[in-house]
Amino acid sequence: MAISSELIRSVTSSLYEWSLKMVPDDTKRELALAERRETGAVAKNTFKIMIKSADAAEREDHLVCSDVGVPTYMVKVGTQVSFSGNVRQAIVDGFADLVEGIQPPILKMVTNPLTLQRSYQGRNMPIVTFDMVDDVDYVEIICAPKALGTGRWESIETFVYPSLPTIERYVLDSVLKAGSQPCPPIVVGVGIGGTFDYAAKMAKECVLRPFGQINPEPILADMEQRLLKAINSTGFGPMGTGGETSAMAVHIDYSSGHGFTPVAVAFNCWINRRTRARIYNDGRVVRIE
Amino acid sequence: MSKTHHLRLPLSADDIAAIHAGDLVYLDGDIVVTIGLPTHQRMIDCAEQGVPLPVDLQGGAFLHLSSYNRESDTPSGYEALYMNPTTSTRYTAYMPKLIRAYNLRVIGGKGGLDLESAKAMQEVGCIYLSFLGGGATLLAQSIKEVVSVHWEDYISQFRLVTLRVEGLGPATVGIDGHGQSLYDNIKATALERLPGILEELDRTRLQKTT
Repeated sequence: MAISSELIRSVTSSLYEWSLKMVPDDTKRELALAERRETGAVAKNTFKIMIKSADAAEREDHLVCSDVGVPTYMVKVGTQVSFSGNVRQAIVDGFADLVEGIQPPILKMVTNPLTLQRSYQGRNMPIVTFDMVDDVDYVEIICAPKALGTGRWESIETFVYPSLPTIERYVLDSVLKAGSQPCPPIVVGVGIGGTFDYAAKMAKECVLRPFGQINPEPILADMEQRLLKAINSTGFGPMGTGGETSAMAVHIDYSSGHGFTPVAVAFNCWINRRTRARIYNDGRVVRIE
Repeated sequence: MSKTHHLRLPLSADDIAAIHAGDLVYLDGDIVVTIGLPTHQRMIDCAEQGVPLPVDLQGGAFLHLSSYNRESDTPSGYEALYMNPTTSTRYTAYMPKLIRAYNLRVIGGKGGLDLESAKAMQEVGCIYLSFLGGGATLLAQSIKEVVSVHWEDYISQFRLVTLRVEGLGPATVGIDGHGQSLYDNIKATALERLPGILEELDRTRLQKTT
């Protein structure tokens, strides 16, 4: 058995559409909890319309947000998998199918940074990364379109032998800089260490982690909890118009590296675009979220 | 105490004076939307060169809402499929000039604007509305028709689009015409709280640092 390029093409197209029309279940639960927790009228009302918006989009098969973002896919390839046909091209074709067929149609977001021309396609679009996973017989594909609201506030800085307070301060400063603007409550992903590129990748993967998992590294479990509390003490609140919930989660990962330590901070907005499916070598497709 | 206002456009400076930051607003009437940076520049160029805009903004609403408008068999030639706000701070450099030049009564999007805009808003009597980012489905429900689409040389969301809406909202008044800005107040509060927040981060850290 082998995974066909036709199957990858259709799954990548569907993943993108799901991510645009549905808010993940854990995120909807978190929004409902936040609505109950908030005491101010403005914050409570904003959470109410967030929940209403997520429900309406799902019910009406409509877009949650008009900024459909830059298409990004992360592909985890099991070593027990074989392919018939090309993989990268299948993902490019899957995105093209989505643009062609989705209802309602999407706006042009793909931007050439040199000319500022907008289109549905462009150099290196969609952005795809591949990783190998030992001993499994499936390909896991994660789709997380990146829109401007949070995309413009993500940051990275390289420190030299930073202390934990320095790292935490940088994360907090990044959140303060974004302030009212990234459609809070946000999800914060942090990558510490490794190299410049790898820290950013860790931060992105952290953003996409489902809520409620305990970090196996005690220092990070502690840091996640304290930073979440710190961010929620700032008062930005939903949509940045005030409240006690500015973030839904902080997820952190680290990698050993050298004495130079990049710290990357990535964000997702309240709709928390994140979809994931596995394609098994026998052709089964399992939607994880 | 937060009040709810149902406003019919166009509005007067007196109408605006009755509204305060933190209130909720629903809009009826014709709104003008765009999210194009070049569109903002072109509007400023028009004002400076004395060239009239193809839309009437006097007493009206100019909003940073991204809209998908499809060609159709309607009087304007278009139908709107949805709209949704973008981050208004992208237009910080343009907004004070636009507020003054076109005497804008209602502006909006999401994420707020800076103090320079708040100052211009106070001068002319203007409010800033925060719409729900990620509210495309809900906001679409209030669109009754596309009145006109201008500057069609741009892509859909960059054009100057007039939409007739009913019950567009609820939007939160982020900045009012009295110089009050939720955004600046919240930011100032966050910065005031920062030393305490950092102290708490240190105090509760599992791994003690030296």
